[in-house]
Amino acid sequence: MKLPYYPGCTLKDRTSQLESTALAAAEKLGVELREIPNWTCCGAVYPVSETRIMNLVAPIRILKEVGEGGDDRVVTICDFCYNVLKRANRAIVDDDVKRTRMNLFLSDDDRRWAASGRQVGDGEAYDGGVKVLHYLEMLRDEVGFEKMAAAVERPLKDLRLAPYYGCNLLRPAQEMDFDDPEDPRIMEDFIGHLGGTAVAFPYRTECCGSFLGLSSPPAARRLSHTILASARKNKAEAVVLSCPMCFYNLETKQKELAGEYPGFQPIPVFFFTQLLALALGRSAEELGFEEHAIDPLPLLQERNLV
Amino acid sequence: MRTELSTRKVRGDFLARVEELSGQSIWACYQCGGCSAGCPVAEEMDLLPNTVIRYVQLGLEEELMKAKTIWLCASCFQCHSRCPRGIDISKIMDALRQMALGSGPDRCGPDEIPASELAGAPQQALVTVVRKLGN
Repeated sequence: MKLPYYPGCTLKDRTSQLESTALAAAEKLGVELREIPNWTCCGAVYPVSETRIMNLVAPIRILKEVGEGGDDRVVTICDFCYNVLKRANRAIVDDDVKRTRMNLFLSDDDRRWAASGRQVGDGEAYDGGVKVLHYLEMLRDEVGFEKMAAAVERPLKDLRLAPYYGCNLLRPAQEMDFDDPEDPRIMEDFIGHLGGTAVAFPYRTECCGSFLGLSSPPAARRLSHTILASARKNKAEAVVLSCPMCFYNLETKQKELAGEYPGFQPIPVFFFTQLLALALGRSAEELGFEEHAIDPLPLLQERNLV
Repeated sequence: MRTELSTRKVRGDFLARVEELSGQSIWACYQCGGCSAGCPVAEEMDLLPNTVIRYVQLGLEEELMKAKTIWLCASCFQCHSRCPRGIDISKIMDALRQMALGSGPDRCGPDEIPASELAGAPQQALVTVVRKLGN
């Protein structure tokens, strides 16, 4: 199976381990993720203000090009990109004014490209026909969790994992239409099919602090501490997540949390694709753990998983 | 702090401007407080999210433009997902930010972020800060 793939900025730099393990795991599952050409940043935040319509140009241009390439789906991994692309696409379907304005702007775009001798757009209006898939949805709906489970070479036996969803995958629920915003299951099902144990803990859908990590760091640290301490209290041995922003707040900041909150016990954090690649037989050296503040290797060694 | 309530303020164009920018109906809110109960950042806020809506209803522009709350909303959409009236409060917060940024300096930008953080923060965090807290 071949699917177009939109990486986004962060996966090409700060969290390259998320991309490399996602691509390696997909290959094992017989999925070829083809990076789309000419992609740009999606804008990172969906423009919620009604007057900031120009911020829709970047995500819609990306989706339009996917459609023009003859595809009706695009896979992405970062939760921020998923949120922006999916909501922008929905705006094109649901909102006549936004669809008309975007297409008028992008037709200008096509003419400029054509004038420079480069054929990109075909001049057709974009109607929102491309379906935006998160990698987790690709695993569940395109590959199938059963088929994924059958390909597991190294079950994550007895590993107690806290699935952390955060905000952007789930909310706003009506627009995202991803999973139940209050009681999601997809990560639990994912962990179960890899042979691990999903730990229930009450903060799995609470915000990690997002960009407050840069603008109001103490607030973000408090939120992150609450989430991690709750995972620990419920006897999780590691946290699993999919978003680079959450990883920044919940993983790389743990040394600061230890200084601020007495009794804080560091806990390894995995991108879900790292565990997938590990379970599918990839070696520990390929998983990018050198980028982690809290080394997950001792835990994996103790369980004979590496 | 002295707060002036008047029909002139309630019927002023501030409320209409917030509704226009956010696309939300301010009068839909009946002050149940569910947004504030679920808000993860409520502890740091000077005005709770439902208070922000009430202040908009009362036309208290000056108080809102000075509030810390509008800069602390992380856009996690928890309030929206739990609002029984379907109000997207993150959009109202963004509208208020946009109005404050229109008449004041950027709240946070690359210059305010320590170099040590710039080196390690994910790209999406930097873009988000500039888009949410800058002009």
